[in-house]
Amino acid sequence: MSITIFTATGCARCRIVKEFMKNENIPFTEKDIKGEGKEEFQNFYKVNRKAIIRGSEGIEFPILVENGEIRQGIGAVMAFLLAGRKLDGFFTVGSLHQEWVDGIHVSGGDPRYKEDFIQVLRLLKSKNLNLQMDTNGKNSVVLKQVLTENLAQMVIMDIWPKRLYAQLLGEDMNINYIEESIALIPQFSEYKFQTTILPIQRENGEISFLTPEEIMETAKYIYEVTGSKKNKYFIKPANSQDIESDIFKSLEPLTNNQLLVYRTKARVYQVYAEIGKQS
Amino acid sequence: MSRNKKHVNELSFKENIYYYPEHTWAEIRGDQVRVGITDYAQDQLGELIFIQLPTAGDEFKQGDIFGQVESAKSVSSLYMPVSGKVVSVNNEVEDDPEIINHDPYETGWLIQVQPYELKELKSILSKENYINLLHEKDE
Repeated sequence: MSITIFTATGCARCRIVKEFMKNENIPFTEKDIKGEGKEEFQNFYKVNRKAIIRGSEGIEFPILVENGEIRQGIGAVMAFLLAGRKLDGFFTVGSLHQEWVDGIHVSGGDPRYKEDFIQVLRLLKSKNLNLQMDTNGKNSVVLKQVLTENLAQMVIMDIWPKRLYAQLLGEDMNINYIEESIALIPQFSEYKFQTTILPIQRENGEISFLTPEEIMETAKYIYEVTGSKKNKYFIKPANSQDIESDIFKSLEPLTNNQLLVYRTKARVYQVYAEIGKQS
Repeated sequence: MSRNKKHVNELSFKENIYYYPEHTWAEIRGDQVRVGITDYAQDQLGELIFIQLPTAGDEFKQGDIFGQVESAKSVSSLYMPVSGKVVSVNNEVEDDPEIINHDPYETGWLIQVQPYELKELKSILSKENYINLLHEKDE
């Protein structure tokens, strides 16, 4: 089972991964795409193009390949090296660079593998990286340990009106975990709550965006659980990545004036509510 | 990881061909037109790792996107400098896109088309006009 790591000269995250593998005596073959690995990467890319993520600065490295498994970005690569597929979902290719690593999803993976997840975070943190994580409130036990060990430099929680959680996150979701997470969030040194104004299916079958009243409900929910009206809270318009394209095309995007109405309603219960930028 | 890009004065241009503002070129060959990307385009993109080209028989209008070219750094659409039907495709560059970096005007050609309206070429740029366009970009 041989591991190939595609790297790009000068890529600091690639260096971190290589050092880790050498320290752990994990055999691997490095292919520098700017050096002797050029041709092999080209061949690999031709076949696997659709699976490779590009960021604002081009293809994200390092890329790990083992027996048909591909992992991209420092988080996903380290997670795979430490725990194979167990940690799938916790790490995706992020958009931040230099010393900030994002694409870390506390509620994205299987909480049974919490210890492995935490270990990856410890490793990344030990390389002087700043970790930005997001959560939808599930896996509150994992979030608690992240807090206890001070592993996150920034945490973002996606939050909704309480009565919509079953519809949005699935019937098996336990609202107690969500509320545990909400209560933990303000204890992080840097955090924010955010709600993306998604279209949802209503009881009559129609699809419409969350309303300003529902955003106010959400702001109130934050207040009720945290006891504070002064949390950082962002309201974001949805973009095409958030919604299935058929639905997206059928909806008029919200105007800036409409977004201000959302903000006014949110500020009743969270006085610092702001409109966030579309991602 | 930044590569030094060439200054306009260091770029190469082929004589007696036409240039399209989206950095493709058109060369009349008998009654057909050969199409490729300019030295400026390949230099901006960096080492190419993938190219997607149409197949013979595909038809395009001037300004249509006829393919896509990719480097590790970026992805760029390819724009038709002239309307026509694709007659042949350069398979060599599909296998080895780097040929385009090394020789964008000759062995790095992309497609050859049967043009519908050769007069269209009058509306695109001469070498001098294209160089001026690049100088303006620089400012």
